[in-house]
Amino acid sequence: MILTYLLRGCSSKYGQVALSSTRFCNNCCSFRGVATSRSHVFLRRIPQRFLNPSRGAKTNRRKQSQEDDWKKRNKTVLTYIAAAGVGMIGMSYASVPLYRLYCQATGLGGAAVAGHDTEQVETMKPIRDRVIKVTFNADTHASMQWNFRPQQSEIYLVPGETALAFYRAKNPTDKPVIGISTYNVVPFDAGQYFNKIQCFCFEEQRLNPHEEVDMPVFFYIDPEFDDDPRMARVDTITLSYTFFEAKEGQRLPIPGYS
Amino acid sequence: MSTAMNFGTKSFRPRAPDKGSFPLDHFGECKTFKEIYMRCLRNNRFDNSRCREESKEYLECRMDRQLMAKEPLEKLGFKDLVDDTQKENEDKS
Repeated sequence: MILTYLLRGCSSKYGQVALSSTRFCNNCCSFRGVATSRSHVFLRRIPQRFLNPSRGAKTNRRKQSQEDDWKKRNKTVLTYIAAAGVGMIGMSYASVPLYRLYCQATGLGGAAVAGHDTEQVETMKPIRDRVIKVTFNADTHASMQWNFRPQQSEIYLVPGETALAFYRAKNPTDKPVIGISTYNVVPFDAGQYFNKIQCFCFEEQRLNPHEEVDMPVFFYIDPEFDDDPRMARVDTITLSYTFFEAKEGQRLPIPGYS
Repeated sequence: MSTAMNFGTKSFRPRAPDKGSFPLDHFGECKTFKEIYMRCLRNNRFDNSRCREESKEYLECRMDRQLMAKEPLEKLGFKDLVDDTQKENEDKS
């Protein structure tokens, strides 16, 4: 029985048990090297960091690898963000031709539709039951001194039929004046069906002093006008020309994507 | 129209003419044909389908006087008129 007490006292690691058994093992446990005096308890209170230097190296290594992981992760994230930024800039440059293609394919915004065929004029059939009235309007810019007016106020035609209309322009001044014109079609949606084969717009036209000329417009309305549900109520189309004065040597670009 | 900030509405985009611009008739060489055409329009209450013969003649005048690029009349949409005259010629001969 005494032996068990002894064993218990000698094998314990914690000071409290050692304390309690010091009375029994004072003499017999000392030979084993187990400190049973108070100094042993004192030793136990020292933080483990200072007792065991090898344990500190392991945490340092773990921390180092953690930091490395963080650095790697940060680098990949930064690379992704930089790639996204470069991609956005590239998209903004590529969007111009892409949008042009899209507009040509869908014909949105009244832009020039690819596949607008000049061969179509030869083969198109006039749609006899849809009569459309085309009215003509003529304007000049405030500083433009020409007298510019249409020679007919309206023409009744059908889609698919080519028509000829005349405008007259007179230069009442004593100096030659160069004019350049643009046109407009109302309603806007009908403008995509209004095809001009030949006219006098977008090119400089020079009128000598006191000269008067006839300016023809040769046009037709696309037969597909009749198929468009949005054009079902359209009976009147207005073609309006406006003349501006052109400066010498000024070159204006022809509209459209050319 | 174009100054309003209506991003959703369609705006009008002018298109260049297919065959370009007519040279100006400074000397009035085809004026008589034009007068015939305008008279025809006024007589027929501005109905285009009745005056296509006259418009064809005006364009032919322009082509003869180098005021317009020469093109076969079918390409200008006068196929039916050309076929009619051909049929007439065939009937005659």
